[in-house]
Amino acid sequence: MVKGAAAGFLFLVLPLFASEATDKAHKYEDAGDSTAARNLYRQALQQTPNDAELRTAHAEFLERYHDPAAREEYRRAVQAWKRDNKTKEASAAARRAVMLDLIAGDRKAAEEDLEEYKALGGGDLRLPDAAGEKEKPQTIVIPGPLRSFARMAAISADSPPEDILPALARNVVTNGFQASRSNDELEETEYLKLVHRYLAQARELEKMAGAEQVIKVPGCESAQTNDLLRILGFRMRGGCGSEVVLETVNAPRAFLSTDSGFPLAQLEQSLRTDKPFSYDYHPTVVPVLYNPDYWITTKEKAQGEFIDAFLGDPSLCRFYLGMAKLDPETAAALKQAMNAVRLRAFASVLDFFGGNFEIRNGRAVLPGGQKSAAGWAELAGASPEKGAEFFEKLMIRDDGWLASLYDALARIHGPLQDYLTEPARMRRFYAAVRGKITTPGPARPVFRANADMMLLTTRLQIDPDGKPHIPGSIEVWKNLFGKSKGGKYDAKLSKASAQWKDPDDLLEALFALSRKPVDNEPLKIFMALTDIDRSRAAPLEAATVDRLVKGWNMFGPQYTVFSDSPAITDQTVLAWLDTAEAVDKIRDSRLRQDTIGMYQGLTGIWQIFCRQGSISVSKASDALAAMVTPFAAVKNNRELFDAGRQGLTLLVKSTGTTAGTMQERMLALLAGGPKVDDSETRTSLVQDEQRIFEAQKLLPADLIFELADNLEGVAKGEKLNAQLASKMAARVADIQLPRNSMTGAEKNIMAFGFYVDKHIDDERKLNFRAMIDKAGKDKNPEVLKDIRGTLAPTLRDTIVGYNYIHYSPPGAQILLTNPLFVRGHDFIGMQGANRSWRVTEMYGSGWPSNAGGRLVGSLAGLPYALAEAEQNFLVPTQTQALIWGDLVPQMILTAKAPRFWSVKPVQMHWVGMNMRFAEDEVAEAAVNPAARQEVFDAVDSAASPWRASLIRTAITNGDVKGALDYMTPSEMYWVARNLAGKPGQNSPAAREIAHIRSIAAEDVSPREISKAWGTPKPTLSNSYRSELLNIRTFPTLMGYSSRIMAESWESNLLYWAEVGDAIGAQPAQLNALVPEWTQKVVERIFASHLEDWPALLKSLRSVGEEVRTESNKTGAAAKAGTE
Amino acid sequence: MAVAGLLTAAGTGIWLFAQEPPTPVFKSKVDLVVLSFTVTDNKGKYVNGLKPSDFKILEDGIPQKLATFAEGSKPPQQILADGSMRPLLPGSPEAEKAGPSAVNGDAFVGTNVFVLFDTSNFMYKGFVYAEDAIADFVRGLDKADSVAVYTFSRNLSRAAKLTGDRNDALLGLRKAVAGDDTALYNGLLLTLRDAAKVPGRKVVIVFSNGPDNASMVAPDDVRAVAEDEGIPIYVISTNDVNKDPISSSVFRRLATRTGGKAYWAKTWQKQVEAFDQIREDLGNSYTITYYPAPNPNEGFRKIAIQIPSDTGKRYRVQSRPGYRPRSF
Repeated sequence: MVKGAAAGFLFLVLPLFASEATDKAHKYEDAGDSTAARNLYRQALQQTPNDAELRTAHAEFLERYHDPAAREEYRRAVQAWKRDNKTKEASAAARRAVMLDLIAGDRKAAEEDLEEYKALGGGDLRLPDAAGEKEKPQTIVIPGPLRSFARMAAISADSPPEDILPALARNVVTNGFQASRSNDELEETEYLKLVHRYLAQARELEKMAGAEQVIKVPGCESAQTNDLLRILGFRMRGGCGSEVVLETVNAPRAFLSTDSGFPLAQLEQSLRTDKPFSYDYHPTVVPVLYNPDYWITTKEKAQGEFIDAFLGDPSLCRFYLGMAKLDPETAAALKQAMNAVRLRAFASVLDFFGGNFEIRNGRAVLPGGQKSAAGWAELAGASPEKGAEFFEKLMIRDDGWLASLYDALARIHGPLQDYLTEPARMRRFYAAVRGKITTPGPARPVFRANADMMLLTTRLQIDPDGKPHIPGSIEVWKNLFGKSKGGKYDAKLSKASAQWKDPDDLLEALFALSRKPVDNEPLKIFMALTDIDRSRAAPLEAATVDRLVKGWNMFGPQYTVFSDSPAITDQTVLAWLDTAEAVDKIRDSRLRQDTIGMYQGLTGIWQIFCRQGSISVSKASDALAAMVTPFAAVKNNRELFDAGRQGLTLLVKSTGTTAGTMQERMLALLAGGPKVDDSETRTSLVQDEQRIFEAQKLLPADLIFELADNLEGVAKGEKLNAQLASKMAARVADIQLPRNSMTGAEKNIMAFGFYVDKHIDDERKLNFRAMIDKAGKDKNPEVLKDIRGTLAPTLRDTIVGYNYIHYSPPGAQILLTNPLFVRGHDFIGMQGANRSWRVTEMYGSGWPSNAGGRLVGSLAGLPYALAEAEQNFLVPTQTQALIWGDLVPQMILTAKAPRFWSVKPVQMHWVGMNMRFAEDEVAEAAVNPAARQEVFDAVDSAASPWRASLIRTAITNGDVKGALDYMTPSEMYWVARNLAGKPGQNSPAAREIAHIRSIAAEDVSPREISKAWGTPKPTLSNSYRSELLNIRTFPTLMGYSSRIMAESWESNLLYWAEVGDAIGAQPAQLNALVPEWTQKVVERIFASHLEDWPALLKSLRSVGEEVRTESNKTGAAAKAGTE
Repeated sequence: MAVAGLLTAAGTGIWLFAQEPPTPVFKSKVDLVVLSFTVTDNKGKYVNGLKPSDFKILEDGIPQKLATFAEGSKPPQQILADGSMRPLLPGSPEAEKAGPSAVNGDAFVGTNVFVLFDTSNFMYKGFVYAEDAIADFVRGLDKADSVAVYTFSRNLSRAAKLTGDRNDALLGLRKAVAGDDTALYNGLLLTLRDAAKVPGRKVVIVFSNGPDNASMVAPDDVRAVAEDEGIPIYVISTNDVNKDPISSSVFRRLATRTGGKAYWAKTWQKQVEAFDQIREDLGNSYTITYYPAPNPNEGFRKIAIQIPSDTGKRYRVQSRPGYRPRSF
């Protein structure tokens, strides 16, 4: 895993001076070989162990690579400097040790090192009092242990106590109640009924546990045994002794006992051995916001415990959830201004939008700042100077529309925020999104409704001239709205569109459509075309845009092809569309599906090659245009085969690779990178690809081409290569067709697989000898030539298979188990619903007698669909956890689509150093009040107000590790970027950042870092290219559902870059490591709800720490020699 | 079909040279076929006490030479060239030679039993009774057996990894939590993949009520994996055989094609009986291993187990019908 090639050759005969060793080591680091640098330090220190300068340099090196040994090395450096009577240097080393202690969460060590620092004259650091500054929260009691309650309430057992009530509130709101069948009221779901039953059982057990709060059974024959078993719903089978067995006697009680995790196995074992059984049954004490009386009335209090009132009232839970999302200062101001009853009336608005409300020193913090204040004041009807009143008015104004706009605008920054918060414009767009009838507001449903507006405000592009980017021209959009059939989007907008002159006219219409609960087609088109233009040197021409707008209905999902390659010309875009239209008109369904499959498959390969630089930017457009042309004229299988062969050959040729067979080159290219090498990583990736290729029983392109050439020769009188033909026949004959015993419902569902079955059946029945014999009898050479056309379906499968292989998720259980998965791709779909160009979808899972799930539609969403299909083969490490279906496919996609062959070590090191720098700044802020505000401001700009408040509080309390644990890697990176470069920064990370800038400024530019460590966001940015958007994580949304939320998580690759840098891996190695690490992360996530980012963060860091520890172990033995 | 890995033994293979040139090391990488089966008479009673020489094993009609032989949970015997047998136990020179990852006696003593317990919504009502029945089964396993308890709903959970300690298995079983959707065949596939990594004899016991609403893989593809790996699947359905004919027919196919059996046991008593029968099956089965003789067939290879004696002709052998050799 760790690069170690350089480790062996270093053999120092003569002692190196400290500066010499440091320089050499740094050169290794600059070359991306931290292992060699590590070894050099190790050997130099063996020779001069008391060299203080060398010790310090080594400690700084270890710090840069997140090595826990750095702290001890700084302490050694302190002693070495002291021996040399260099107090200033000793003091500096002690200061570093303090910082690293705090980052590691080792307060005791920090105190000791701080003493040393002070003794050496350091006077600028003060460690806040750990306990004294924290306010003790009020608590409530829940019967039974936390773990049992968490299991029953579907809350992660890993949740900290303060998260229990908010998580419970969320579960009650989303899963606790359902519409009653008999009346208009809500009734409890089975989930909530079980929680209530569990609490009743827990209370019985609590009584039994008595004052000691421990359930005790002295022995098998004791009276307590029967009492306990009765409560648990079990009885003993057989008399006391080694044969005693617990068996169910009361199923509902026994279910609760098992499901809540009562230690039945231990109890049974105690009874068998007649030993005392004891089980700690202390109740769960969890913090409650403010105090219990704030939430429930005296009457409710008299009727039962807090938890009962809480569980029985979904509106109370929503209110609690909303308040829990507010940052404390804002919440305190609102509480003071509004009583609980009034605030509760806006619980839904607080829940969805309150997270971005911010009151500081009594004033509202406004998106757009002071220049927007007048606008906000007018819209809300209250001055932002009076923060609480302002937000009260904001909430009550219009059932949440204005609050939703505030929330959307608070999430963005820079020129885009400036543009949208210009008062007049804001008024106009607000009026549009609000409409005339405000009820129901956007906070009424379970998930927030106006997701489109958030997409628009996040992704709108502001051009250098300060105006929003309008793809094509305003005329194109006037046409779209004006000529839409019957004003299908909105009759009034269609009418008004004739008068549009300004970009804001169009934006106003897009805002207006965002309030509608229906599919917002114009916005999707607008965003897709904006994304195509976004990275182009020159935007698409108006005519091209017009064509793309008109073609949206049919080809919309395919437009990622055009955004993935910014160099594609307008002509090539139009040629691609023309050909797609021609292909779609082929009447013969079998020929059409094969042509579409091959066309999309080759386009997909082109996309892969372009994205990873295998086809250079300058050749990309021409390569696609040349690939496309022959397909326009396809009329039969022979022409299709020739077009496919020509296309594949051309694409491979465009990459410039020459060594090896076509199959070898294809697999090597699909593994990624502009150049094909023979590295260990590439070999392992190619082997994985080969396994899938074999499992799918696909035929290598070379074999197909060879056979085609042979058949061509047969037409000229040559002999059939029987060996080749039988090789192919053997491969195909083994394929079993799906079984046919289906129910009526299944037949209906599977009706879309009709042509797939035909496709596979045709391949199985291929018999060249019989065809040749027949053609020979007919003496028709044209028929002989046509025989090679019968290879077209097989070539289609191979080409489509190359796409599947490239995106195959970690584990690839489906691809390795179902040999028909690639062949079964259904490009046509159900009769009457042409799915050929629509996004890939997964169908047919969960029917025992079908042929397994299959993918339907185009290849446009293949990476996501494959990840989605594979996710449930991952095995959660926690018994109670399930795979987080809303997030995991995107995480798998992020692990598989980006490749790191072209990433430079310095780009990985850059991320690592920025992470170190962020840690360092947070630590500095904790012990140095003078540095605090700057860090707070940076945190505020990166995180939501609520989370920023948690981070600020932790910093103020001197809890550096706690503060860092709250921060996501992407937030840390942005905090570092905000703070870097300011005067007086002298930490090793700060110096290294400056050094990297001096040697590789272009490589570490925002654009290049975004390209190297960004994530693909096919929904949010209509592209599979890697990109960092620096956005706050999105909430769960209605409509676009979870995909946007998942795409807003940008932390994984940044974190893997940091880990890779710390362990001395090469970027290319990440091609194999990232999928492996990601799988572990997914399996370890134990989340309570759909926005449980901390659970993901925890899992991410646990895997990272494990990787680092493993790596450190490797070097530990060697290091021992230096100490 | 279990993979024995690198095996140092006499047989066909490639000559490789170790560091000392004069001493050749004879190594061959071959796939070892593990075959478990039961023999019953015309009244359905198990036939015990048969010897290797009583059997004739054919693969696509090609006779095979047995490598080891075991009955029930007795330790396996190595079959020597002259047909005689000797124990293959850890510490013996043969086992030492074979190396830790190859055929060793320890791995072949007893059965590795993987219990796959359906904890999805469909099983909600019978959840606790099912647990009791599985717990009884685990307690009653032969001492030599190892057991793993996996549960599944939408995802698989390895509640108790393969262990010889019954308490560990019961602890894992009692940790089970009711889940949501039913991805039976996904879970079964993953269980088979785990089982395939374990040397020696193994079976998978599925405890489910049948319907699957979330799997991405088809039962027949999963069955093919079991067939190829030589892992019998026993199914205990907690449903009526006629209530869900599709699942019933799938269960029957899964069991018979892999050398296992299917039971329909709606009540707790029936479930316990089904487990008793499985346990009996395990205790009365034979396990043989062999290295396949050269066979050009890269597709499905049909296995036939014959008992050529006159009495043997009346016996019924229940085994998997064949396997597909690995292609990569």
